[in-house]
Amino acid sequence: MSLNVRRVGLVAARDYRAAITSRGFLIGLLFMPAMMLLVFLLIPRVMNSRSPQVTGEVAVIDPTLKVTNELERTLTPADIALRRSLEATPSPAPGAAARAGASQGPPIPQFSLVSLPVDTDVQEKKSWLIQSRDAIPRHLAIVVVRPDAVIPHADSGTLGSFDLYTSTRIDDATESTLRTSVRAALVAARLHGSGLDPTTIAKIEQVAQPDSVVVAAEGDHSGSRGIARFLPFACGILVFIGVIMGGQVLMTSTVEEKSSRVIEVLLAAVSPLELMFGKLLGQLGLGLTMTAVYILAALYGLAQFSMAGLLDPMLIVYLLAFYMVTFLVFGSLMMIIGSAVNQMADAQSLMGPVMILLVGSYVMTPIVGQAPNSTFSVAMSFTPFVNTFAMLGRIASNSPPPAWQIWLTLLIGCATAAIVVWFAAKVFKIALLMHGKPPSLGTLIKWARMA
Amino acid sequence: MTAALEIQGIRKSFGNKVAIESLDLSIPQGATYGLIGPSGAGKTTAIRMVMSILFPDQGRISVLGQGSALDAKDRIGYLPEERGSYRKMTVGAFLTYIGCLKGRTRAQALGRADRLLGRLGLTDVTAKKCEDLSKGMLQRVQFVAAIVNEPDLLILDEPFSGLDPLSVRLLKEVIAEEHERGATIIFSTHVMAHAEELCQQIVMIHQGRKVLDEPISGLRRQYDTRRIFLEPLDPGANLLALQAVAGVEHVTLNDHGCEIRLHQGTDPASAIRALTAQVAPARIELARIRLEDVFIRLVGEADATESQDALRTHLQGLSQTGAIP
Repeated sequence: MSLNVRRVGLVAARDYRAAITSRGFLIGLLFMPAMMLLVFLLIPRVMNSRSPQVTGEVAVIDPTLKVTNELERTLTPADIALRRSLEATPSPAPGAAARAGASQGPPIPQFSLVSLPVDTDVQEKKSWLIQSRDAIPRHLAIVVVRPDAVIPHADSGTLGSFDLYTSTRIDDATESTLRTSVRAALVAARLHGSGLDPTTIAKIEQVAQPDSVVVAAEGDHSGSRGIARFLPFACGILVFIGVIMGGQVLMTSTVEEKSSRVIEVLLAAVSPLELMFGKLLGQLGLGLTMTAVYILAALYGLAQFSMAGLLDPMLIVYLLAFYMVTFLVFGSLMMIIGSAVNQMADAQSLMGPVMILLVGSYVMTPIVGQAPNSTFSVAMSFTPFVNTFAMLGRIASNSPPPAWQIWLTLLIGCATAAIVVWFAAKVFKIALLMHGKPPSLGTLIKWARMA
Repeated sequence: MTAALEIQGIRKSFGNKVAIESLDLSIPQGATYGLIGPSGAGKTTAIRMVMSILFPDQGRISVLGQGSALDAKDRIGYLPEERGSYRKMTVGAFLTYIGCLKGRTRAQALGRADRLLGRLGLTDVTAKKCEDLSKGMLQRVQFVAAIVNEPDLLILDEPFSGLDPLSVRLLKEVIAEEHERGATIIFSTHVMAHAEELCQQIVMIHQGRKVLDEPISGLRRQYDTRRIFLEPLDPGANLLALQAVAGVEHVTLNDHGCEIRLHQGTDPASAIRALTAQVAPARIELARIRLEDVFIRLVGEADATESQDALRTHLQGLSQTGAIP
């Protein structure tokens, strides 16, 4: 059966215009940036801001008599902030690092050190930690330094550690900060005991991690591991959001056309195949528009930090090509669902398997990006339905695959799309005028055979 | 002259249910055909097959000289029984879209849509969204969508359902105008009076089979009812005395006068002359055949034939098994 390209174009243009001028599209367009903002900026801030600063006493029993002095230093907010900043982003400037550290992570606790006599009975002293909820000052923990924690035991030659008893009123983050502080105090006491200067050692240990410089034919540019890790994830999410949005609009518009009975009016003017291809192309255009907007925004953002060169232009070409293939596959599946049901509520049960396939493929992208040449990654990039996501993850990784693998994936993707579109066309033709209960998979296959 | 529609031996079933069985039909160009039958008779299925929305299991359909309606969609106007519109689209955009899909330019489609909307009393709705129109207004817009492309063949499936009398009259006028323009018109209805008024030829479908394919004039001859209505000038006139007039079989009194049934073969003109000589009439009228009567008569015969066939088959079965000699 021949297709009238003019009619297909008219249907595509109407569907494209209707979708792109809707409020839903604008909301959908802003959805991904909003989610990213939420995930990367707001949620950590909200999580941290919800933790109030912890203030309380920490008792210490120190038979070595050397750790308590160090603890008084390592438990100060300034020292805690410095350690946090060194763990997060290595920096040679301690002052700046301390300020940076203070702004990272949960609020720095205010510990007051209470030194207990060496012969204190720990078992009896545990009751010190049991308080009412509102008691002030809060008794947070008892640190018991082992006698051989600084000077090795004469017989074994090994160094001891410390025991930590905590109250129920101390949270995980505060306990972790306390452990790190006690460890730092023990190390410092041991270094002093060995005649070494802890400050000198700390300076020796500091090695700032430089950003790599990628040398390319068009010139050097700064590299970033963060961006390299983020790219597969970003590519995956671009395709995922585009397919989900376009596919949902495709399905909803088909259901609406069916339930509003406009479908038969349309079928008087176009053939079912022309209608299906028109709708598919219209929503494909919508998804491409959205993807283009995101890519341009990403390029603009990277250009602001002089990192636009990080994006390989071929990655964008592959991204668009794989997007189209993925959309044709999943869009056709969603269109089958839209044509088979009479209302959106009926579509939910049929959507389940498609969504599992789509979400599964998307979740795999960053995983594949971490090990792009593993057997799993290579196998996935040639497996129908998931191959486009897997290959995008590999292309966007630090170690992209050879060109023939990319083309093979594209070929498999196109073949899959052709089969799914062919099946969708058969079901679409029959299902459009069917009313009643939602069909099972068996019924869909029966309809395809009838067509 | 080439037939506008040629159907040869089509059959369509849905699972075990046979919707259309051995349907043959030839509709010449420029004719007005009424497709009548009760709900579920198979009219809509037949129309959908003509439109290539459904496809027959057997048989052949030729539309406007093409092997399929798909090749002639630009020349066909179709108003489906279950019709809708894009709720969020403006009336102008909707009609232009449909017109463009049917091969017209935007300007042509919009120009004709404007004229037709005005003709149907829908001025100033072009910029309104379809969802903002009343049901009756929307139905008229949907009718415009069916003829916006100046079709050579216009198929209307229950075009008057749900319309108020004024809208029905307007639609009938526009249908007549389309016919005068040269369009072939097929419309399906289960309201026989509409078919009587608009059609030159009637095709009756019952249980998926064609049971009648006759011109209205032929029907009137074939199914002459032999009834005369008489309203006397003098309300006190003795109407029962008409029973004695030659050719009168029976007289039934009613509120206005009487209904006179004639013997088979009686010439109505002679009977009327004899009746008026007996009683001066205020009004006398030969009852015209009503499609309902024809339909009931035909369906009754078909049902009876089916029952006889079923009984015959049953008896043959019993005979073969030896249950009866």
